[in-house]
Amino acid sequence: MQTELVAQQFLVFSAAPSPIPLLYSLHPAILHSPLKSFAFFCCPQFLTSIPPPSKKMDSPFLSNTTLSFSSSFSSSPLPHLFPSVSFSPVRFKSTQRRILTVRSKIREIFMPALSSTMTEGKIVSWVKSEGDVLSKGESVVVVESDKADMDVETFYDGILAAIVVGEGETAPVGAAIGILAETEDEIAEAKAKATSKPGASTPSAPAPTAASTPAHPKSTPANAAQTVAEGRRKTVVTPYAKKLAKQHKVDIESVVGTGPYGRITPEDIVAAAGISPSKTNEGPAVVVEARPAAPTKATVVSSAPPILPPPVPGSTTVPFTTMQAAVSKNMVESLSVPTFRVGYPVTTDALDALYEKVKPKGVTMTALLAKAAAMALVQHPVVNSSCKDGKSFTYNSNVNIAVAVAINGGLITPVLQDADKLDLYLLSQKWKELVEKARAKQLQPQEYNSGTFTLSNLGMFGVDKFDAILPPGQGGIMAVGASKPTVVADADGFFSVKKKMLVNVTADHRIIYGADLAAFLQTFSKIVENPESLTL
Amino acid sequence: MHYSPALSFSQPTSLPTTNYAFHSHVDLRFCGLRRQPSGFSFSTHSASTRVSLSTPARGHSNKISASSGNNGTPKSFDYDLIIIGAGVGGHGAALHAVEKGLKTAIIEGDVVGGTCVNRGCVPSKALLAVSGRMRELQNEHHMKALGLQVSAAGYDRQAVADHANNLASKIRSNLTNSMKALGVDILTGFGTIVGPQKVKYGKVGFTDTTVTAKDIIIATGSVPFVPKGIEVDGKTVITSDHALKLEFVPDWVAIVGSGYIGLEFSDVYTALGSEVTFIEALDQLMPGFDPEIGKLAQRVLINPRKIDYHTGVFATKITPARDGKPVIIELTDAKTKEHKDTLEVDAALIATGRAPFTNGLGLENINVATQRGFVPVDGRMRVIDANGNLVPHLYCIGDANGKMMLAHAASAQGISVVEQVTGRDHVLNHPSVPAACFTHPEISMVGLTEPQAREKAEKEGFEVSIAKTSFKANTKALAENEGEGLAKLIYNPDNGEILGVHIFGLHAADLIHEASNAMALGTRIQDIKFAVHAHPTLSEVLDELFKSAKVKAPASTSSPVSEPVSA
Repeated sequence: MQTELVAQQFLVFSAAPSPIPLLYSLHPAILHSPLKSFAFFCCPQFLTSIPPPSKKMDSPFLSNTTLSFSSSFSSSPLPHLFPSVSFSPVRFKSTQRRILTVRSKIREIFMPALSSTMTEGKIVSWVKSEGDVLSKGESVVVVESDKADMDVETFYDGILAAIVVGEGETAPVGAAIGILAETEDEIAEAKAKATSKPGASTPSAPAPTAASTPAHPKSTPANAAQTVAEGRRKTVVTPYAKKLAKQHKVDIESVVGTGPYGRITPEDIVAAAGISPSKTNEGPAVVVEARPAAPTKATVVSSAPPILPPPVPGSTTVPFTTMQAAVSKNMVESLSVPTFRVGYPVTTDALDALYEKVKPKGVTMTALLAKAAAMALVQHPVVNSSCKDGKSFTYNSNVNIAVAVAINGGLITPVLQDADKLDLYLLSQKWKELVEKARAKQLQPQEYNSGTFTLSNLGMFGVDKFDAILPPGQGGIMAVGASKPTVVADADGFFSVKKKMLVNVTADHRIIYGADLAAFLQTFSKIVENPESLTL
Repeated sequence: MHYSPALSFSQPTSLPTTNYAFHSHVDLRFCGLRRQPSGFSFSTHSASTRVSLSTPARGHSNKISASSGNNGTPKSFDYDLIIIGAGVGGHGAALHAVEKGLKTAIIEGDVVGGTCVNRGCVPSKALLAVSGRMRELQNEHHMKALGLQVSAAGYDRQAVADHANNLASKIRSNLTNSMKALGVDILTGFGTIVGPQKVKYGKVGFTDTTVTAKDIIIATGSVPFVPKGIEVDGKTVITSDHALKLEFVPDWVAIVGSGYIGLEFSDVYTALGSEVTFIEALDQLMPGFDPEIGKLAQRVLINPRKIDYHTGVFATKITPARDGKPVIIELTDAKTKEHKDTLEVDAALIATGRAPFTNGLGLENINVATQRGFVPVDGRMRVIDANGNLVPHLYCIGDANGKMMLAHAASAQGISVVEQVTGRDHVLNHPSVPAACFTHPEISMVGLTEPQAREKAEKEGFEVSIAKTSFKANTKALAENEGEGLAKLIYNPDNGEILGVHIFGLHAADLIHEASNAMALGTRIQDIKFAVHAHPTLSEVLDELFKSAKVKAPASTSSPVSEPVSA
């Protein structure tokens, strides 16, 4: 269980595009885990006070900084073993020395990424006010993501020197929302930092994050940010467009206005930022009064949707639930990824035999397939990688198998984390828990958005083969059909009946090529056909 | 009698001379057709200079006799009381006058109901009712939290406008009928004072009729104030008069003035899909509110909405949209008087306050000089002439005197005047008159703001304490999923006197009256805290507020609420 928790913690952090010296209360178990301080790194000033490394309490990661955490972590495999109380594990070799020079005791509190789809967060409230003394583990701020409100805790002692992003305001993920000073002496300095750095700034130190949003924050004082900056050139920007530009770090000067009188409208900013129109707080649709007798009047004012066929009489329109909207968004997003498919027949007689054996112990077919896929992925890390920015491979150090589950009117992908490492029984148990949570809609974000590879099984319906859509942020998805008795002829011409199952993997061809996928499928097939290794 | 009203809309003489700073003082229109005023304070002040009426009963004779305080000679009058202006103030006074047995007439040159009913609080409440619902339906997060699913909410502008118009008509006919039913004569035409106790009225182009009355109340109200340089065309540059007709919903509207009118309209416009730019002459938005409430209100009502703002600037020139050009607004720095910016918007709403409507009243006939248009009055609403003397039998209530430009304050002042002319001295306790702003959520207040209370305490040498409760702790608010809100009590911890109460939250405007009534009746915190509130209700926010106050004085033993009640 401990290793699992660690894995979750890690995932939380790796999900964030930039260093976050805060741990969010995603899972009570995390917070109460004796390992929680593991997640905290980077206290430069500790360098002077760290006792000489002892055997047990060797914590070299303390001397690392947030800045190098994710990169160095992902390049080193996740440690398998964590002693329950003391921690010895992760060593960061190359980065230590460089970081030693960082002396600042003023830290920025960043907007955490609370879910994979979160691009910005709203500050619901600051639990602490400026000048309050914070101690490790205290809630500091409540952040509202696109999914929920969450308490964000600090794991530093210090003084909340300045609040950069006020209550009710939003900031992009990774932006500084507050400044933490180590001592009272530094408050002034921290405050100066806060004013010189409005909410939309990026961390000052060289961040290793892959986040490559076009950041041109205008350095206006935070409180005046909403008033119009005087410009030499007359650019007319509507109030909401201004807010959107700030949120999405769009340089207004670079936007060409398409609104009335050439003004920059919210739509222009949305287009410039390359985001899909936000779902909330849109202006209401003006119901144009029906004037059938006056067709000459062009009354369509607002951005009209593309011409839709008239509704079939008697049809009803049911708006998407949030989950359905999320599915829809992800599906549309997937269109931007060049995918291809490779199918492979897998003989399942041995697997079926094994399943019959382990079934009484609570092992499910899902767990077996997930385990098999995970083991194959370990051998083919590229299939477990993802392409985040169109320029690089992101190799995931964990093998997290997301499994698509249909739940009442929705679709969700609970994630079996470290499916390669957990044994079949634990995995089955874990799966049961996840499904229950999913039904109760209690899945925590990292329990459904941390997948590195997805499994979708429609075999139980008798589907023989199908084609899955690649979820954004992952390299591949495996579509599993039903296992059916098939007549096969062997090399010698003997016919026999074997159970064959067709699996079809959809993958991102920017990073995973045909041969990679074929080799992965071959490995997968071998594992399934010789399933003993699954129970090890 | 000195008082510091909560909203710094004090005596007109204290108004700054710049046209813009003006609105922060008088931009106060609240409405409520309350028949009873909230505050009465009795004094032993002798009414020797005024008429004392011996007989309360007043038959139906057309000519009645009364003694004049000045000359002592008996005189016949057409009426006991004539009220010029049938707004909420005049209406309140008329109804009370009838109750007191006075033969009463009311002169109205326009429509019954005045600003409040026809061009103010009443139609704006209709629009705000729409905007509140739109806002709720559009708030996906809010709906989801309640488990509701709503597909895109839309509106029909004309139907919304009709709702506002229908409401105004309905209230107007209610008002008219209530006066007719009670036997108040409604005289149509513009009223002019032609001499002491004498008024003429008539429509333009017709011969005037002159009537006499023992006492006259001026209740002519106010009109939107438009600073110079602003060209109102009624289409793209408008005042609240036009905006309430909702003839169009601009994509982008600049609102000049961030007082109550401006705030309420920003609520309406943003809910209907407009973007809003506030132009405020002072350095901060919503001046006049308790700073803490203002801060919270800004966080909820401004920052998350499609609103931006320019503070510390005057809109020195506003040109309506024409010749293919948008509305152009020239902004001038309030301090340096230098040109600061030029805005191009689709419409501009001028919400810079209201100016008294006192022209043509014939005040010169009785030697009364208006001050910036306001009719000068004393604490009892008695009109003061140019020499500083009281004008006998002449009173002025409501917006026309500028004391407290609220509909219900006008009504309360009218009732106070009627009390006086019927032989009972009465002074309206202005600090106990509540005020409200009907945004979503609402803002309400009574008494002093915290800085005002601290200043007063400093001067008079008493302590000030603050108690606060959050709507987040209120069951009903949470059930409504509307936990955003704060109630704040400013009090004297030694004697438990309530100095001010400020509420920001769901139904704040309805909640304030427990506090304002307590203030009007002089109820102390240590006593009111024993009063019981139904559970679960929003009123428990105030219950909690009173209970959280730390008062040193013990509860009074004779407190009625502590008496056992037999079944």
